[in-house]
Amino acid sequence: MEAKLKQRPSALEATAAPGAFERHAWTWMRISGVLLIPLVWIHTLLQDVIVGVHAIDVNYVAARWANLGWRIFDVFLLGFAFAHGMNGVRQVAFEYIHSPRARRITAGVIFALWLVISAIGAIALIGGVNQEFPLQQQ
Amino acid sequence: MSSLRTTLAGYVGYRGREGHWGFLLHRITGLGVVLFLAIHIVDTALVYFNPALYMEAIRIYQSTLFGIAEVFLVFCIIYHGINGLRVAFFDLIAPSAWAIYRQRVSVRWTLILTLILWIPASIRMLSNLIEHNF
Ligand code: HEM
Repeated sequence: MEAKLKQRPSALEATAAPGAFERHAWTWMRISGVLLIPLVWIHTLLQDVIVGVHAIDVNYVAARWANLGWRIFDVFLLGFAFAHGMNGVRQVAFEYIHSPRARRITAGVIFALWLVISAIGAIALIGGVNQEFPLQQQ
Repeated sequence: MSSLRTTLAGYVGYRGREGHWGFLLHRITGLGVVLFLAIHIVDTALVYFNPALYMEAIRIYQSTLFGIAEVFLVFCIIYHGINGLRVAFFDLIAPSAWAIYRQRVSVRWTLILTLILWIPASIRMLSNLIEHNF
């Protein structure tokens, strides 16, 4: 028994009670999920259903971001939705990946992807549409 | 890899009925939406990094193929949201209600509510698509 556990620390780790981080991550998924209902649904209803992708171009984005309220809305959307989603990816991955080493690598890759893509989104949200306003019709 | 194979075989073979299908659909829709979101953050950021390329990306989204995919994306967003609320409600507010019968009934209601919201949204998106692309 002792030897078996030493050989397979992964099995031990995978069945151990979750630590503080995992408990917070679990609660985070539920709290952020409730916040995502207004954030994601308003965004989807407006852009996909009411406005529609055929009416969207750089002018549309510029006009929308001219309103500070919508920019702040988009900051929350970016922050909450992508963190919720990427933590979800990590949780799913950890159900299949049990060795501590492989888990560390997986979590590192997911964290790096989250950081880089969030930064790209944040730079655009702060920088805004990179053209004179009002814009030429493309 | 063998643990992945065991899991995938378990997904198909396990006969957990509504609760099992509700869980699987939550997982697939969640992963699908976050994959799209990662792409969508980058394509929207093009308005700052390269506005001309942003217009190229939007033209792809306006194609018929992506228009149909968009209808399914909206299904994923509605289902995952309602089912997420369902899970959060049982976990945080009424944990004693995690009983098989309650799950069967609530998963059915989740699907019905999803369809009630999704069908009118789809009709509007598809008529918009037909108007512009045909
Ligand atoms: C609209 C409101 C949303 C609610 C109420 C919600 C709720 C939840 C909850 C409670 C979980 C945890 C499930 C569990 O531990 O069993 C979860 C998982 C997940 N969510 Fe969301 N979510 C929402 C939106 C999103 C969005 C927009 C994305 C994509 C960016 C997303 C991606 C994911 C992923 C990938 C998982 C992991 C799936 C799994 O564990 O099988 N969710 N969601």
